[in-house]
Amino acid sequence: MAQSSTKKPSSTGASQSAAARTYPNGNPDLDYNPVGVRNTDSAVPLHRKKAVVHDYACDGAAPGNLAFRWIFGSNVAATNRDPRVQVVQYNEDSFILRQNVCAHWEAPFTYLLFGNKGALLIDSGATADAQHYPLRETVDAIITRWGQARGRSKVPLTVALTSGEDIAQNQGLVQFAGRPDTMIVPKPLEVMKRFYGLGSSWPGGTGKIDLGDRVIEVIPTPGTHKDGVSFYDPYCDFLFTGDLLFPGKINISNDGDFVASLERLKDFATRQPVKWIMGGHIEMMFVPGKYYRRFVNYKPYERVLEMEPALIDEALQYAREVQGKDMMLIRPDFALFNGVSPDQRTRVWPEGVPNITPPFHF
Amino acid sequence: MDRRTFLTYNAVAAAVPLSGAMMTGIAQAASAAARPAPIDFKSNLPAKGSFPEKWICGSSSCMDNTDPPVQVHWYNPHTAILRQNKAYSYEAPFAPLYFGNDRVLLLDEGFTQLRNEWDLRGVVDQCINEWCARNGRDPASLELLVAYSHLHGDHYMAVNQFADRPNTRYMGQTHEEMVGFWGMTNFPEERVTLDLGGRDILIWGSPGHVVSEFAYYDSYTQILYTGDMFYRGRCYISFWQPWFDSMKRLIDFCDTHPVTHVMGCHVEISKDGQDYAYGMTWQPDEAPVEMTVQQLREAFAHAQKITEPGIYFTGTVFLCNQTRGTTTIDRNPYRYG
Repeated sequence: MAQSSTKKPSSTGASQSAAARTYPNGNPDLDYNPVGVRNTDSAVPLHRKKAVVHDYACDGAAPGNLAFRWIFGSNVAATNRDPRVQVVQYNEDSFILRQNVCAHWEAPFTYLLFGNKGALLIDSGATADAQHYPLRETVDAIITRWGQARGRSKVPLTVALTSGEDIAQNQGLVQFAGRPDTMIVPKPLEVMKRFYGLGSSWPGGTGKIDLGDRVIEVIPTPGTHKDGVSFYDPYCDFLFTGDLLFPGKINISNDGDFVASLERLKDFATRQPVKWIMGGHIEMMFVPGKYYRRFVNYKPYERVLEMEPALIDEALQYAREVQGKDMMLIRPDFALFNGVSPDQRTRVWPEGVPNITPPFHF
Repeated sequence: MDRRTFLTYNAVAAAVPLSGAMMTGIAQAASAAARPAPIDFKSNLPAKGSFPEKWICGSSSCMDNTDPPVQVHWYNPHTAILRQNKAYSYEAPFAPLYFGNDRVLLLDEGFTQLRNEWDLRGVVDQCINEWCARNGRDPASLELLVAYSHLHGDHYMAVNQFADRPNTRYMGQTHEEMVGFWGMTNFPEERVTLDLGGRDILIWGSPGHVVSEFAYYDSYTQILYTGDMFYRGRCYISFWQPWFDSMKRLIDFCDTHPVTHVMGCHVEISKDGQDYAYGMTWQPDEAPVEMTVQQLREAFAHAQKITEPGIYFTGTVFLCNQTRGTTTIDRNPYRYG
């Protein structure tokens, strides 16, 4: 750890001494390096000769950073001038994209993951019009830049959806039609099952999407959508659950499937480490149990996106409670709607949860 | 008279002396001399007018909406109807602006508060200036009355924009002040007449959606403005019996007075009767705001059969009888067996 105290005038910061140059990009063990640097060799060499091959094996979850808050729309939606797609780089190989709340109230999240052999786009946003929601353009730009950094001219792209039928997530798909080096996971349920190799085992078993040393697992999770799937990224230890489990109003479309899918996720989480559950939307507020109604273009009190894996157990417990009943149920981090209108309201407040009404932001 | 008393002072009573005693002031006498002949609002009734084929109704992406924040439609040369753009607020209420020889009545506002969000006051001033230019009047000589159908944010929230406007009076925001503004002593049965200067507006109580609500009838265009108590969408009925009695009053009025259109504050339904869910900011195929007396009668006939809380479709409107806090019409579209 000790750094040489003798400094040459020509020194440019990192140890430049010829004898110590075992680390071309600096010694990751130096004090000032964040802990993540030691877990991964993700720093791209300065003078690479060929395409960089990244080692996706790391102890624990790959480090990453969600330091920005999400852009939350504006009171008068027509006057909003925020970026249409907010891009947050979680780490060098994982990007989180969010649609502007004023371009579409669902403000879905879209995830872009890179491996040594290609990239995966999970979900595609709620707007087809590329003028209003330039997802393809944004993804192309990220891929190009990533490719330049890694010395790759071709990065094959796979586009997969957490649900093919969900119009809050499948609308941007048309923008990728005809894109070279692109595989779009087919939409109808039967075809999709075969694509993932789940034709006979659905909803059991798991499929795989190999990005090159980063193998994304596909877990069938119908319940909110009959063709719902979740994705597990073993690099960041994220579980991408789409509409099945997210901090918002979860509209259960088949309660039996919903409970079974949560059981499957719970079982999966005992076998594989899960750091966070990343859903497709945010509708909850940062006060427990309060949420935004539908069609809202201004959500300054949004909860954070990421959910702890313990919430699978809680969701499962309360999913069993609403199973077979037409009712809604509020929990601090989500609300379950089973067999009722998505606008259903209730006067039942969960016991032990502080009932805080945030000031109205007009 | 303090400011609060002045603002809520009986507008109907004030209408009488203005043309007589108060005219003795030299300045007013001078302006009266320069005035062109008053417009005749009493013959050839109902005054012809038209609603637009299609109102501005939001857009799929709100931030890409390039329409004006409020659409101003001149129903006829003396009647403007304002409608807020859905991309500025999902409530998108309608607000009629009635011109008379002495004063102008603005009924309801948009769901807005600050002039820098969108400038309702500026739009109203512009309408008044346009009308004055067309009719050779001085805008300063016209009094503006700002009134609401009822006390919900999408109907009164912009009132502070008018606080410093000269020659302007607006309704107070309590039941007593609202009723007092129209000089009513027997709400809701009493019907009063507001004289805008040759143009009579008949006003009476119309509770049911909320306790303090009014119906407004313009004798010139013969439009019956029913606020949120009856409109082309989900009529949230909080108090059934008062609402039913109010409907009865409307029907009785239609029996004795000619009515060209029945007009509510919102549209939340498509041309083919599909519900636009609460909060939607795009209604590409919305129904017209105006309704016929026949549609009002049908709704009343339907209402006579209603005994339980619930949502009922009359063919024109949804009657949401005491359901507001619990449920709505639409279903989760992804449900499967």
